Amino acid sequence: MKLLWAVSALLLSCWRADASTAGFIKSPLSQMKLINDSAEMHCEVVGNPIPEVQWWFVEGEEPNETFTQLFDGARNDHVKINATYIAHATSTIHLTSLTPADSGTYECRASNDPDRNELKKTPKIKWIRSQANIIVIETPNIHTEPPEVSNQTSAMLSCNLTDGNLPIKGSYWIHNGKIIEGSKTSDGKSHTTLKLEKITHANSGKYECVFETDPLVNQTIEVKTPPHVAAYKHSEHGNENDKVVLVCVSHGYPLPTDWVWFKERENETPLLLTNGTTEKYEISSTSNKTSLTINDLNIDSDLGNYMCSGTSELGTADDKIYLRVRSRLAALWPFLGIVAEVIILVTIIFIYEKRRKPDEVNDDDDSGSAPLKSNSNANHKDKNVRQRNSN
Amino acid sequence: MPPAAVTNLGYTPPDGGWGWAVVFGAFISIGFSYAFPKSLTIYFKEIQEYFSVSYSEIAWVSSVMLASMYAGGPVSSVLVNRYGSRPVVIAGGVLVCTAMVLASFGTNIIHLYLCVGLIGGFGLAFNLQPSLTIIGTYFQAKRPLANGLAMTGSPVVLSTLAPLNQFLFDSFGWRGSFLILGSIVLNCCVAGALMRPVNKSIQRKTNNEASKCNSEAAEELAAAVDTSTHSDNLQTEEHQSEKKGQGFIQKFTDVSLFRHRGFLIYLIGNVVLFFGFFAPVVFLAPYAKHQGIDEYSAAFLLSMFALVDMFIRPATGLIGNTKWIRPRIQYFFSFAVLYNGICHLMCPLASGYTGLAVYAVFFGLAFGMLSALLFEVLMDLVGAHRFSSAVGLATIIECGPVLLGPPISGALVDYFGDYKYMYYACGVFMLVSGIFFFIMHYYNYKKLDEEHRLTAAAETGSPEEAVQLKMNQDDRTVTETDE
Repeated sequence: MKLLWAVSALLLSCWRADASTAGFIKSPLSQMKLINDSAEMHCEVVGNPIPEVQWWFVEGEEPNETFTQLFDGARNDHVKINATYIAHATSTIHLTSLTPADSGTYECRASNDPDRNELKKTPKIKWIRSQANIIVIETPNIHTEPPEVSNQTSAMLSCNLTDGNLPIKGSYWIHNGKIIEGSKTSDGKSHTTLKLEKITHANSGKYECVFETDPLVNQTIEVKTPPHVAAYKHSEHGNENDKVVLVCVSHGYPLPTDWVWFKERENETPLLLTNGTTEKYEISSTSNKTSLTINDLNIDSDLGNYMCSGTSELGTADDKIYLRVRSRLAALWPFLGIVAEVIILVTIIFIYEKRRKPDEVNDDDDSGSAPLKSNSNANHKDKNVRQRNSN
Repeated sequence: MPPAAVTNLGYTPPDGGWGWAVVFGAFISIGFSYAFPKSLTIYFKEIQEYFSVSYSEIAWVSSVMLASMYAGGPVSSVLVNRYGSRPVVIAGGVLVCTAMVLASFGTNIIHLYLCVGLIGGFGLAFNLQPSLTIIGTYFQAKRPLANGLAMTGSPVVLSTLAPLNQFLFDSFGWRGSFLILGSIVLNCCVAGALMRPVNKSIQRKTNNEASKCNSEAAEELAAAVDTSTHSDNLQTEEHQSEKKGQGFIQKFTDVSLFRHRGFLIYLIGNVVLFFGFFAPVVFLAPYAKHQGIDEYSAAFLLSMFALVDMFIRPATGLIGNTKWIRPRIQYFFSFAVLYNGICHLMCPLASGYTGLAVYAVFFGLAFGMLSALLFEVLMDLVGAHRFSSAVGLATIIECGPVLLGPPISGALVDYFGDYKYMYYACGVFMLVSGIFFFIMHYYNYKKLDEEHRLTAAAETGSPEEAVQLKMNQDDRTVTETDE
């Protein structure tokens, strides 16, 4: 009997020998985030069988800690958990729209013990745990001077980081998403400036001062100018009964919100062209480009100046395009002229030829290039003189 | 030396007189043939936007035009063999004119492929071959010069057409320009009208005079002897019996050319050569821009190249005509090919704008030399009366490398991201081709000299010797016809 027990215990332990306990290969990292920012933590565990991973939120101090388990969709859908269980277990937790209440310790728990969910046993024993802190801080105030630039010829932009809690490594400026060369500093000062000497539509836009803290903090200053409207080509040609497309583009910030096209008339107010009233005019506009398509050009009435006008909150700008309509037959006259010249020349050449040698007209095959005729120089072996075959 | 052993044409070409008017006509015809497809590229951007197609689709128009120009070669040589040069050139001019007029009414891109590409290309083929052929019938002693002058048409017409096309486009739009271009191309008919068929019946007199054994004339005539004379003499003797059995095809084109040693050398060498011939021209401006040179200076490089090309072609013709070069003109051609190759291999060494300008000048020299001699050497090898078939066959076979060359080079540039590999590749093609030509022509000349000595001895030697040599020759003929 004892032998039987010993053997079965041995067999059981052998069978359980290839099982390995769970172990972390990747632990979640602590982070500091701003309010309304989002955070992500990653946890990877190996073990055989594949362990189960859970996320828990820890509040309070030891020994009065409270544990709350987080699941996918918790906190009003601000929590998302993504887990895969292939070869080993991975789990990623996303926290969005962070509030100060989200600050705390987050715990990644894993276990492959088959008894792990037994309520009668203490959880700590069967689960391995790894913790990380998330601290959500108020966005530090950056004071911008001036807060907005509107219709000025030059400006000095400055940013001042007033909350001095975070260590500052350096700062730089961004214009329209691209870092401005030469604006990067590593002096750790909480104050940075950028000088714009000449403000035109080319360098208007959104300027961001960025402080290299952990996490990065930035503030935007908008530099606004009146719209600048330019036509692709100031002189356009169209063919009669064909269609033509007139295009205007705009640069700068902010871009026009409204585009209008006018046709100028002599001694009258310009005609406002609108979409859809007739088949003749089609206007399609985006914020930086507008195009007017004129169908079925008429050589008399469609000739003239067309004006495109773009309006933004800072004003209106426009440009003119002069449209020329070519007659269908415009190219016909040179064509006929040159054809006439060719016919005259050919006639002259033929007449000259006929007159020079009226009695020696060669009406035999003048090619002499057909291969069979090459035996005109057949070298008969028994004669010294070459024979010429007259064709 | 028998006085009539000058040419095997059966008459003495005038070498002047109306011949120069024919050269002018050929100048215009050849000019349009080569320059027209290149100058149409100015309209491509506008047409591309009008039909909303991609760049490669519009580039096909040029390729189709070039392809049908080369493919139309045999057709055109068949027609020239039957009807002579003049009707074919006039027909070609009318064809291109119709093609352009039809194209100006085009409603989609396929319409353009058919009209401009296919019909236009064919019409241009009808211009190219006959022009070259008729020069061979009018000139013998001054033929390299005449060829050089005629080939100058290409750069001259190109440099006139390019700004003209731009002006037409600005004034009339692409449809109007196509219409007017159609009428301009009709001037090829004028060129064709000038190509009066050569008068063969007045030659008896000149030959009688020559038979007075004027030593000076005999020297000149001796200097004007072709390699073709020798090869053709032998061939007519050896193949006389075979000729009777020739059938339908022989009436239209001379397929026996493929057994002609000189023609085969020319063909093989040219196929390799054309892979690297046009690509450097196409890529000169993009290469300059890649080096950081601005657009206008890059365009000026091309103008420099074209200018040098324009002047070097008649000059090469003149040099090829001198009594030192003329008998061994094949070596001159091989040298031109080698020079091209060396130019390309040295191009990557050129740095900055001055380097590229120097390269453009040398390349212009090389390109012009080669172009001027390209058809002259073929005439020299096969003789004037087989030339039209030869050039037809040669162009259709060259069609492949001409079309594949630039895209392959473009692929090389894209793959390596650097232009220098493309230049190395082109240089290597030309170098290999040039060396091939040198070696094969050395061998060819040796063989021809041998054959010439045999025939000369057979005609003027002592009776015993003559009998002995004739027996040897007869044996050879018998064994060869038995094969």
